[in-house]
Amino acid sequence: MGNLVEIENLTVAFRSKRREGLFRSGPSLKALDDVSLTIGQNETFGLTGETGSGKSTLAKVLVGLYRPTSGTVRLLGREIDYKKRKDIAFLRQNVGIVFQDPVRSLNPSLTVKEVITEALIAAKSIPKKDYDERINFITKLVGVTKDLLPRRPRELSGGQRQRISLARALVVPKKLLVLDEPTSALDVSIQAQVLNTLKKLKSELDMSYLFITHDINVIKYVSHRLGVLFYGRLVEVGDTRTVDTEPKHPYTQSLISHVLTLRKVGLQETVISEHRPAPTGCRYRIVCPAAFEKCAEVPNWVNLGGDHLVSCFLYDHSSQKESRALIPAAAATGGDLRVPPHEHS
Amino acid sequence: MAVDNVGENEARQTLAPAVSAPSSNVARPRNKGGDVVLEIKDLTIDFVSVDGRVRILNGVSLMAKKGEVVGIVGESGSGKTTLGMAILGLLDSPPANIVSGSITFEGRDLLKLKSSEMEKIHGTGINMVFQEPLDSLNPVYTVETQIGEALKVQRKRQDPPVPQESEGETKKLITDLLRNLCIDKPEEVLERYPHELSGGMRQRVAISISTVEKPRLMISDEPTTGLDAYVQSRILGMFSAQRKAGETLLYITHDLTIASQICDRIYIMYAGRVMEAGETRGVLQEPLHPYTSTLVASVPQGYEDASPLSVQLGEPPDLRNLPSGCKFNPRCPHAKDVCKETEPKLDEISAERYAACWRVDKELGKFS
Repeated sequence: MGNLVEIENLTVAFRSKRREGLFRSGPSLKALDDVSLTIGQNETFGLTGETGSGKSTLAKVLVGLYRPTSGTVRLLGREIDYKKRKDIAFLRQNVGIVFQDPVRSLNPSLTVKEVITEALIAAKSIPKKDYDERINFITKLVGVTKDLLPRRPRELSGGQRQRISLARALVVPKKLLVLDEPTSALDVSIQAQVLNTLKKLKSELDMSYLFITHDINVIKYVSHRLGVLFYGRLVEVGDTRTVDTEPKHPYTQSLISHVLTLRKVGLQETVISEHRPAPTGCRYRIVCPAAFEKCAEVPNWVNLGGDHLVSCFLYDHSSQKESRALIPAAAATGGDLRVPPHEHS
Repeated sequence: MAVDNVGENEARQTLAPAVSAPSSNVARPRNKGGDVVLEIKDLTIDFVSVDGRVRILNGVSLMAKKGEVVGIVGESGSGKTTLGMAILGLLDSPPANIVSGSITFEGRDLLKLKSSEMEKIHGTGINMVFQEPLDSLNPVYTVETQIGEALKVQRKRQDPPVPQESEGETKKLITDLLRNLCIDKPEEVLERYPHELSGGMRQRVAISISTVEKPRLMISDEPTTGLDAYVQSRILGMFSAQRKAGETLLYITHDLTIASQICDRIYIMYAGRVMEAGETRGVLQEPLHPYTSTLVASVPQGYEDASPLSVQLGEPPDLRNLPSGCKFNPRCPHAKDVCKETEPKLDEISAERYAACWRVDKELGKFS
């Protein structure tokens, strides 16, 4: 089975509005830097990272809202040329998106039915007589009752609005659904209901998910594979269970150890310092407890077996003389971010 | 060491022991029999509008002892924010109408105080951190001015008043404070305006304004909602440092995982009522009330192949249109006839453990 989406060396840069001179534009900021990943058929790919790591930028590239600065995006084997309208249309035909804020993503002046119908009209491929049948089918599936259809978004609760966003995205069948923090704005019991619905939907409609969230508990629960972004760069990709139980990259280790769970009752007394990305080389090296000289270069991807990839020199034995022992997760919890300098010199 | 900014690194080294102090959970100040700082009794608040009267809080009682972290957990519409605002006396009247009850802070009923007296309690007595820091920070003043202002108030109100520091000293104090919160380059942050900061940074500035006043009771309303795990950890770390200093903290949240981390006791609220209360560990590990069980079950556990989360359908309650009997009964899988007819009272089930549910057997002390 081929991959549904293949992203290769994707870079998205934003130019700063502040100009440095009359003819010189300001510095550009790479929201995504050389990101490569694939999403398989019927797979849920989880993408996580802290605020500003570029998660949403990737989502927007996949629906054609941002253009890549360089790199390629292939959908169903077809390379997308972001300058061609036809390609963008192809992208939108096959990729749906649900945003975080259910208030701002629905038109307040339309009724629920009109909101969903708009998506059908935009698709153009569906005959008008089929509209009602489709709306009935999808609303039943996502759990929107019929009495909600004539209402307007402001009369609905957050969970209902998010279900309507889902219905709108899926009323025309999609191959990939991008979910950008779909449950962050919801109450916990509603979040659980929406997660259950999402899992059910995926088994009934033949499609893949790109699930983006900073909530590790949620992403673990929904995704087959997990990718971790740190300031625009992917640092680790692998099977969710493997990444969760044996994180390799120092950043992932620290991230996983900071996840709050119900079982871990007790006070966390460490305070982590601000994450400042390094401008060159491995972006995590400024705060990394295991950083050494080599980290000033961009690390290669190392395959640890079973599609578990990590971008870190600690595991790259080809470019390193002595192989360093893995850092225990405890060292990466932020308690002590320093490694005695003599260890590396 | 391949770190390009050596100076920065040194700063972190000197700082590290101060912030990430040994995680001595053992030496936690519990003082169980400590003085009661805050006691709310039977508080009932209505909001009155042209559409009618809506009961936001209904007979809420709670208590916080000195040095305790008390969690108020509930979903939207449970009245937890209204409760926080009521303690501070920030509810506008109209629409708010306090029907009955009392809020006793250090022996004084706050509801009977004049606004001039209340003003003296604000800041150094009771302080609140709001969910949206942009709303609580002044957009036209720099971070330094705003923290400095709070510091001035704190100095003035001490008994006897402490003389104000010179401008240079104040600046140094504030810089140290921000550095202790792990804010990079505090000197630069001082000069900035709230809109120039990231969400997590803003929230930390808002919290530092509160902490610098050293309040005897701090209320924080969902301070980490919408922030990522790291920022959350940083903020929770700050609060834990504060409780070490013996401050009482009222922590309002909808997130059970956070509550389980920092709260000594929690109150579970639903539709303006306390449904269950008790020591955090007990409540979360052996919930008595079906609503608490629902909340616990809503926290995703396991991986992709795990079974669906066992939550009941249904939305948070509509306060304008509440069901009769137990307010949770339409969503409750265990509801009996009595639950639909009469509302249960909050009863002490076992020591320091309260629940409002007909299905909880008082003799057995558990759900049956």
